[in-house]
Parts: sequence; structure tokens; C-alpha cells
Amino acid sequence: MISDYEPIVGRSTIEELRLLATKLSGKVIQNINSTFTGGGVAEILSRMVPLLEQLSVDARWNIIKGSAEFFQVTKKFHNALHGRKEKITDRDFSIFTETSQRNMEEMELYGDIIFVHDPQPVILVSRKKDIGKKWIWRCHIDVSHPNEAVWQFLKPFVVQYDAAVFSAPAFSRQLPIRQFLISPSIDPLSDKNKELPQQTIDSVLAKYGIPKDKPIITQVSRFDYLKDPIGVIEAFELVRKSIDCSLVFAGGTASDDPESDKVLAEVKERAGINPDIHVLLIPPGSDIEINALQRASTIIVQKSLGEGFGLTVSEALWKAKPVVASAVGGIPLQVKNKITGLLSYGIGGTAFALRQLLTNPQYAKWLGENGREHVRYNFLITRHLRDYLLLFLTLEHPQDIIYL
Amino acid sequence: MGVSWTAVVIPIAVFLVALVAMFWLRRRIYDRLMRWFERNRWEAGKMLLPTLRTPSILWNLFISAYLGLVVSILPAAWKSPTGKGLWTLFLVSVAVSAVNILSGLTVFYGQKFRMPWHAMLVTRNVVRVIIIIVTLLGVMEVWGVPTTHLFVFVIVVILAAALAFRDTAPNLFAGFQLSATQQIKVGDYIKLETGEEGYVTEIRWNSTHIKALDESIIIVPNSRLLQRTIINYGHPLKQAKEPFRFSSRTHLTELTGLKAKNLRELVDILKMAPDAVVYYHTHRFLEQHHYLTPEPSNDFAIWVSDALGNEVLGERLASVDTFEFPSLGVLRERLVSIIEEYLATRSNGREAMEEREFHFMKSVSAIFPTPYAAHDLREFVEALRKISLGSLYFHIFESRLRLGRGLNDFTIWLKDSLGETELGEEIARLDPYTYTLEGLRSALIQLIEKRIK
Repeated sequence: MISDYEPIVGRSTIEELRLLATKLSGKVIQNINSTFTGGGVAEILSRMVPLLEQLSVDARWNIIKGSAEFFQVTKKFHNALHGRKEKITDRDFSIFTETSQRNMEEMELYGDIIFVHDPQPVILVSRKKDIGKKWIWRCHIDVSHPNEAVWQFLKPFVVQYDAAVFSAPAFSRQLPIRQFLISPSIDPLSDKNKELPQQTIDSVLAKYGIPKDKPIITQVSRFDYLKDPIGVIEAFELVRKSIDCSLVFAGGTASDDPESDKVLAEVKERAGINPDIHVLLIPPGSDIEINALQRASTIIVQKSLGEGFGLTVSEALWKAKPVVASAVGGIPLQVKNKITGLLSYGIGGTAFALRQLLTNPQYAKWLGENGREHVRYNFLITRHLRDYLLLFLTLEHPQDIIYL
Repeated sequence: MGVSWTAVVIPIAVFLVALVAMFWLRRRIYDRLMRWFERNRWEAGKMLLPTLRTPSILWNLFISAYLGLVVSILPAAWKSPTGKGLWTLFLVSVAVSAVNILSGLTVFYGQKFRMPWHAMLVTRNVVRVIIIIVTLLGVMEVWGVPTTHLFVFVIVVILAAALAFRDTAPNLFAGFQLSATQQIKVGDYIKLETGEEGYVTEIRWNSTHIKALDESIIIVPNSRLLQRTIINYGHPLKQAKEPFRFSSRTHLTELTGLKAKNLRELVDILKMAPDAVVYYHTHRFLEQHHYLTPEPSNDFAIWVSDALGNEVLGERLASVDTFEFPSLGVLRERLVSIIEEYLATRSNGREAMEEREFHFMKSVSAIFPTPYAAHDLREFVEALRKISLGSLYFHIFESRLRLGRGLNDFTIWLKDSLGETELGEEIARLDPYTYTLEGLRSALIQLIEKRIK
């Protein structure tokens, strides 16, 4: 319930959400993406749409249809837009276009505002010239270094939208349409972020054999080279020379990422028999375990080489944990260096920052508390809701100052 | 059989002495009550006394006659019915007086608390019925008629009535208590521990009406007022010519797609950028980190120091005190001139690494009314405790600089609508950029509370 957030963000924040929502009375917001389950977009929509409804906004959610072949192509597009090397063929483009054409014909576009998420349904905007309406494209992907062929293919559709939304300033492109910055968010009431009793935390530590009597440094992330797991171990080993502590590297493998098993094997090999390094393969759906590991940690690391937004950082900050993270993707938005955490650029810098925090617990506590407040005002789902409400209202008001 | 003269004289003497004593006692009680009513300003009491004037004479007569009868030597066959007769007359006259008094009080308080006419009639009739039943029971007791059945019936009726009026009765009695003790009066500003607050506009027989800060009327059952801790701030302060209506503001960040990787690019784009860009980059830190004591810094200074490693220029840009500037145009000119002065004598300097370029963004503000309104300083300070940080931010920062009003909204209202020039200027002198938003709220509240005292 929307009112459940009141003790966390304050009554006035919820009152303002209700007030903004009343200004959208009579408008239908039609969200369109490619799946109801799995993936970050579906997770956000599954929380966001019910909350919008509770605010009396008529928000609905539809998905496009597509064959396995179509989704293989969209996966390739996704990776290519993220800057990964992908071989995209003409046939891939024609599969994408044909399926999109079918969806254009079959999908009922009834919303006053049609809110399209990610590239899969991007072509639907071609119907704008027939049906009008307001169209928004929400790009959840880091397109700062996209595969040009894919970007140039998508761009003629993107520019037909009334507005585009990106998660970080660096993700935006020069486009002839309005672009907005809306960061993703975490839900403080979800299993991954809610308060846990000490008993639960202790039982998770006991389950994985992690000692409680020394500081715990944790990185929670998929087994992916971009998360630099080997770099994390190397930084930890530098710290461990002078300070007795443990490292927990907790994450899962992704079924759509053939590399993840290889990375896991390499990490395990690199960790070797070091009793202070705990490499944990956490099964999907173990949000409470992840939550407990984060809460049990002394410091949380996110030493990624590349990130979409890196919401695990906000998850850690929300638990008032001091964070050491790389300045990539959306991380600098979450970690303001020396105020809400420490930013680092290499293994040596990460080790230095870890030592600094382990030997200065008061400073670490101050950073953690600032981090929690930073997340409270900037990265919780209530701020995300407010931004979406404002985004919808902005479509009717092109000025920089809007009087509602 | 002759009757001794004493048999006649003694009862008459007892009757006369008792009568004198009773009148003396009546006078004393009357005077005492009069003084007590005066002292406690109980208007209803003044109305009571004249009602009792005639009946109290009758009671004196009945009691004196009864005492005379008791000492007389009349035969028991005469004495007993006469005594019972006197008691009956006494009870009936007490009942008639009670009916008059309680009916009068019901009407008096009913009108005072704006009790609906039908409720007043029902209450009056219920009171009358109760008095009649009690008198009837008394009279039956006097004449030795069994009363058990009637007594049980009355108890059942009373219980049923108590059940029916279980919610109303406490409120009614609380209303009497509130009126008698004068703890809360119409016009007082009260705050309940449960959060309701505002000026008392009406005290009715069962509820009290409070005008809240959002101008809605809160109806609080009287019994709740007595059960809760209440802060009573007393009577209204000087009324403003126009109420202060609080607005709030929230914003969305719009990306311009423009980015700079060195000083020349930074200054060239800054010169052309709309005011909304200048506003965003000089207030972003404050908006996102308002829980910290803010760095007196803007995004340009932070970027020049961190991404270009030029701490000298970074410090110069950071030293620009936003509070000194009356408009965004002048602020922009100052920032541009600092960078251009630097570039006039030095090279463009180092370029930012990839992904650390300066991204120009702008702030799209949505301003909307809140339900809060203040007509005087008390309402103003209480609303200030409740409004969102967005609302505080809007009236202090955005209206002054972005909307070009030159002064913050609070100062303008205090001076123009309330005539509180000194307080308004004191608030205008406060540099809001050196506070956290919560700290700023506290500082404003302190200043206003001090003024109210």
C-alpha cells in the first residue's frame, strides 16, 4: 500500500504524490514492454503500476508478442546497445521489423499516454501518425557507447516519441526530442531491502559459515567480468595483509549469460583455499539472504568496470553501509565521493579506501548514514513514482516552470 | 377529655422556631450560592436561584409543619396520614422545582452548545420522566406501597437508556465540563496529541469544531478532548490582510544532450544555456544533499576540481555565493566571467576523461498548491512544521531566484500582509544556503516563536 511508505518518506511526500496524481485524472497511462516476468523492467512495472493505481492513476500494462527468434534478436540488440560486441545481421533487423509490424497491427493502443519501455516495442510509435496520443520511450539501457548500426536503426523511431527517458546523464544522446533523467529506484519494503531481525541475519551467516567476529567486506553481483570479481579479491588481499577481515562475494549466474559459469570457476580458483574468502553462489529468489548478507557486512564494495545503473549500491546505502565503488555508470549519482561513500578507480585505490574505512569506523558510520539519507530522498520508489507523475504532466506543459 | 395548653403551644412553638431557623438557613444558603455563582461566573446558576425562591418557602413550611406534627399529641390515626401528606407535598414540590431547574438548564446549555431542537426536547422530556418516576417511587415509599416491581422496571429502563446513549452521554458531560472549567474556549488555538490542530470555532453539546491549517473543519467529540493531552496556545494573534497560502514544488531533470569536456566548451555552452540550466547546476547539490550541511558549491566548481583537476579555478567558482545574486542572469554572468578571466591568461587545460564530461541539464519545476494556509503567525508557524521540504524549498529558494521575486515569499508576506517588517527582514537576512533544509525549518520556527512570545 502506498501509505506503508509514509513512515519511511514522511506524510508530506505521500500527500504530494496524491496531489500530483489528481492532476492526471481521466488520463490512461498504457505501459508496454516485452514481458510480465523476469528482468528489471518487469520488476519495476510490477511495483509501479499497482502503486499508480492506488494513487488513482489509471495505469495499465501490456506486453508485445514475439517468437523465441525475435527475443534472441532483441537480446542481441540489448547487448549491442550496452556496447558489447555482437554480430547483427540484416536478417536480425528484418526479424525485428516483421514482429514489430505484427504487434503494431494487433496491439490495442488505448492509452492517452503510451509509455514504451526499452527497445523491443520501440517501433510501435510508427502508429503515432494515425492515432496521435502522447508517446514516451523509457530507455533502461546504458546507450552511452552503443553499437552504431543498432542505434542508427532504432533512432528514426526514437525521434518520433514526444520524450525519451534515460537513467543517467551519460546515457543520453543528442536528440531532437525532450529527454529526461529518471534514475531507477529500490523498494524499501521489498524482501531485498526490508528490515530483518538479527536472528535471520545470524542464521544466514551460519548457513554460509561466515564468522561474525571480524569485519566483513561484501560485493553482491552477478559472476560477470564487468563486476571485476578478481579485482575485488586482489583489493581484499591487499587489505588482509594488515587487517583481519573476511570477503564475501555473493552472486548468481545468469541463464542468458554463458560466461557466468566460467567467471564463477575463475573466481573460485583465484580464491583458492583462503578461508577468509567466501564465494557464494546464491540461487535466484534468495532476496532475504542477499539482504541479510548486506546487513551483516561492515563495508560493501561495488568494484564494477561497467554498470547500467548499479542499484546494488543504493541497496547497500539504504542499509546505512559504507560503500566503496567504482565511478562507472550510475554509481557516481549514488555515491558522492567522501560524502555518501568512497569512489575508487583501481585495485590499489579500492584497497586504500577499504583500509581507510576499516580503521575509521566513525567515518564509515557517517558515510553510511549519509548514504541512507541520500537514498531516502533520491533513490526510493516514491521518488521514482513522483518523477513518472511529473513526466506525464510535463507532456502537456512544454515550459520549464509549470503551474499545476 | 380536656387538652392541656402545652399540647397546643409546644407544636406551634416548634413549628414557628423551625420556620424561623429554616428561613435563616435558606437566606445563608442563598447568599453563599449567589457568591459562588458570581465567583465562578456560572451564568446558569444565576438563572437557578429565582426558580427556587417560591418552592424553598414551601419546603420551609412543610418541614416546619412536619416537625410541629411530630411533637404534637394528635392520635396516631391522624398523625400518620397527615405526616405522609406533608412528605408527599414536600416531594411533589421538590419534583416540580427539579423539573423546572433541569428543564431550564437543558434549554440553557442546549442553546449554548447549539444542540438541535429535537435533541433538546428529548433530553428535557427524559429528565422530566426520570424525576416523575423517582418522585413516584418516593411517594409510594412514604405511603408504604410496595415499590420493588417499579424499581426493577426503572433500573431496566435506565440501563437500556444508558446503553442507547453510551456514546453520546460522555460527550454531553464532557461538553458541560469544558464549559464549566473554561479549559478550551472559542478562538483558542489548540493542538491535540493525536495531531489535530487549529483554532476552535465552536463548542457544541457533543463536539468541538476546529478549523485546521488546511481550512477544513475537524469535529472532535468532546469526550476525546478531555481524555487527550492538549496544548492550548490561547487566543488568535494579529490577522493578516491576506492569508499565506503555501505552495510546493517538485522537479524533473531534463537532459539537454549537451556536454563539455574542457573549460572552453563549458563556458561556451554556459553562455547560451537557458536560465533553467544555470538554476539546476547551482542548486542540484542542495536539492539532492539537503540533509547535509551543504557545500557552498555548484556543479561547475565540483566538476572543474574533480574532473579537470583544476582546484584553483574550482575554488574560485565554489566561492560564488549564490545568495548574493538577485537573478540567475547575474549569477550566470559571474560564473562565465570567472572562467573567461582564467582562460584569458591560461590554456584550456586538461580534458575530462571519458564518462566524466560535464552534462548540461535543466530543472523543470512543477509548482502546485498545498492545502495549508495561515492567517496569523500561530497558524504560519504551525504550518511551517508540517509542510514538505519541497514547499519550504520553493518559498525560500525558488521564488526568490528563479521566479525573480528578489525576496523569499515568507518575508514578502510578513511585511506586506502582516506588518511584521522586523521579523520579515530577519528572515531575509538568513542565508539559507548555509543550512540543511530541516535546519532552515528549525531556524525559521525559532525566529517566529520568539516573535510570538
